[in-house]
Amino acid sequence: MPHSNQTTRVEDILSKHLDGRKCWQARRHLLDTKDLTNAEIDCAMALASEFKKFRSQHLPPMDVLSGKTIANVFYENSTRTRSSFELAAKSLGATVLNFDVGSSSVSKGETILDTARTLASMDIDCIVQRHSSSGSCHQLAQQLGDQLHFVNAGDGWNGHPTQGLLDAFTMLEVLGSLKGAKVSIVGDITHSRVARSNIWLLQKLGAEVHVAGPTTLIPAGLDKLGVKVHYELEPAIKNADFIMALRLQLERQKQGLLASIGEYKKLYRIDHKCLSLAKPNVKVMHPGPLNRGIEITSDLADDPNLSLIETQVKNGVAIRMAVFYLLLNGN
Amino acid sequence: MQQSLFIKSVLVVDPANKKQEVMDVRIKDGLIAGCGANLKAEDGDCQIDGKNLWLTPGFVDIHTHLRDLGQSDKEDIQTGTKSAAAGGYTKVLAMANTDPPIDSAPILTLLLKKIEEQACVKVYPVATVTKGMSGEELTPMVDLARMGVQAFSDDGMPVSNLGVLRRAFEHAKLAGRTIISHAEDHDLTAGGCMHEGPQATALGLPGIPYASEAACVAREIEVVRQTGGTLHFGHISTAISVDLIAQAKKQGLKVTADTTPHHLTLSADDIKEYDTSFKMNPPLRTEADQKALVEALVNGTLDAIATDHAPHTKMEKSLPFDKAPFGVIGLETALPLTLEKLVKTKRLTPLQFISLFTDKPSTIIGISPYILKPGEQADLALIDPELSWQYDASKGMSKSCNSPFHLRNMTGKVLLTIAQGKVAYQDELNLSSRISGKLQTATK
Ligand SMILES: [Zn+2]
Repeated sequence: MPHSNQTTRVEDILSKHLDGRKCWQARRHLLDTKDLTNAEIDCAMALASEFKKFRSQHLPPMDVLSGKTIANVFYENSTRTRSSFELAAKSLGATVLNFDVGSSSVSKGETILDTARTLASMDIDCIVQRHSSSGSCHQLAQQLGDQLHFVNAGDGWNGHPTQGLLDAFTMLEVLGSLKGAKVSIVGDITHSRVARSNIWLLQKLGAEVHVAGPTTLIPAGLDKLGVKVHYELEPAIKNADFIMALRLQLERQKQGLLASIGEYKKLYRIDHKCLSLAKPNVKVMHPGPLNRGIEITSDLADDPNLSLIETQVKNGVAIRMAVFYLLLNGN
Repeated sequence: MQQSLFIKSVLVVDPANKKQEVMDVRIKDGLIAGCGANLKAEDGDCQIDGKNLWLTPGFVDIHTHLRDLGQSDKEDIQTGTKSAAAGGYTKVLAMANTDPPIDSAPILTLLLKKIEEQACVKVYPVATVTKGMSGEELTPMVDLARMGVQAFSDDGMPVSNLGVLRRAFEHAKLAGRTIISHAEDHDLTAGGCMHEGPQATALGLPGIPYASEAACVAREIEVVRQTGGTLHFGHISTAISVDLIAQAKKQGLKVTADTTPHHLTLSADDIKEYDTSFKMNPPLRTEADQKALVEALVNGTLDAIATDHAPHTKMEKSLPFDKAPFGVIGLETALPLTLEKLVKTKRLTPLQFISLFTDKPSTIIGISPYILKPGEQADLALIDPELSWQYDASKGMSKSCNSPFHLRNMTGKVLLTIAQGKVAYQDELNLSSRISGKLQTATK
């Protein structure tokens, strides 16, 4: 029985992270990386490691979340992220409902609260939500948190905590510890929930976070939040252990936030050449989807020695399994 | 008020009269029948022990959104004026950005009728500066002023065309009325929903920069200089605006300004967990701004405290932070919040403090300040400055409960409000130990 072996191994790991597990048991939602404790982070990382091995063995799904129903409610399209959550949930034996927002009454003026209430009435256990408004998942958790678990799959510019966790997990696989590691996030920080979730999490893990981007795309007061801010690429990536390029929304040009895409490429595109400034074993990351040739060169994105982009995607499923397990199993 | 009322040994705080002394006050048939030392109560007087209480002129709020008309689910004239009375206000200036806006004689007539039927305090209507608040064509200011409009404002949708604003000042002068400015540059606000800075960045919310207010204050001051007009800036929120206004006043320009209780007591740091009852426009700024606003009230750069009472329904405020409407209610909490900030800290005397709620705002909008003396119609607030209580927004008189101060412990409370000679509000619970006899609250 692969199941029982697997379950025993998972429980073994958790028994080594009792503090973290306790915190997770007291937690009902994953809304932000801001309020995660280091014990919780360590616990999730250890578990994700195990789940990653499990996934690689191509075994039938576990049954630890059988009987649980998880609804993916995505008000912004993202087939990639939704699929990752779906795969994670199914690998643990949960039932998955992909709630079709586009064709539902949401488009007829129903609020996100109405939708969540409807799903709660259907005895759903957990909502995974993506929405364009910062804080939208927090507000739902405040209103319906006693009936449902919420996992924030991206809220406006604010957060995308499972992305933060999977990125940290990926970095930890490379370096073992992030204490003193230099991580540079490059691009549109203002509108990036990936950047924010990474910043809060990486700071907890002891990394030194640098950002670089155009003045128009670095939010006010970021330097007061413990981040080293640069407007030029070179000082940001000098001696960096990791460089994370962010996706550039091409409509920023129309909003007057970018002079031209060409100028952006000249100033901030990550390529093989600029990596000479970084640490010798520097790795390059990107949350996807890529604008090939704009924020990162195609060659670099595909370079198996330098790019962690595919690993990030793989790790995403494992991290999401860990999150579901910790929030829903036994809670 | 048919009955007669005798308030014994109360501290009369009467700014227009520059008087702050303990006396007895007798009110009969809605008029002040006597005030002085050792008055005698008469048979049948309802008596209140006024020891340690303040008796002040009724408060004047020069920035109230009473809503009604197409927005009566948020507030109407009846609930809004009851809320005003509960806060000690007997006169309110009703903002014109209603649905439809108050921009023509027929709509004003409709509003005046509602006020006549439903208001329990005096309501002075404001009309818009431009038709439909489009910032283009001016409203018939002289006509509207004659019908009873007390001030003009495109609050919420500031006039961005300075050419239009110039003509507006000139017409307002002809109409003998003040224009109230909502100083905001919409292009600088650019969809922002809280003060721009580390807090907004940490919450992932678009910010509203200082300059959105200050740049608008600066350019409107120049139009005042050009036209010799008068201008009142409502709800000033930043230290830089305060400096600009101080400078303009020093140069003899006819500008005045107010700020709100929430800008005096909260900052952007207080916004947590996307609570939309902390979302208002202008937004909560920094602690340094808060200090500058207090200083400006102390040194006279700011002339008054106004509530910017802005009710919204629960449903509207349950939208995500970036989508929820701007505004908080404030009539019932203005006194205790600012009392704590300005008097308990000894920054202002009771007389200076009450002045910010009474004669000073009256003067700004051209109402003669109330003086508490025999023969005057009673228009008063009775206040217990020491009473500790907890504010529960859901139990207030307003139809809405969008307050950032919900469940906050307060010191200082209005016990009784008499508006235009009638009892408009009484806190029966807290009056009970002081009162002999029964006061009838007027029904409206
Ligand atoms: Zn306004």
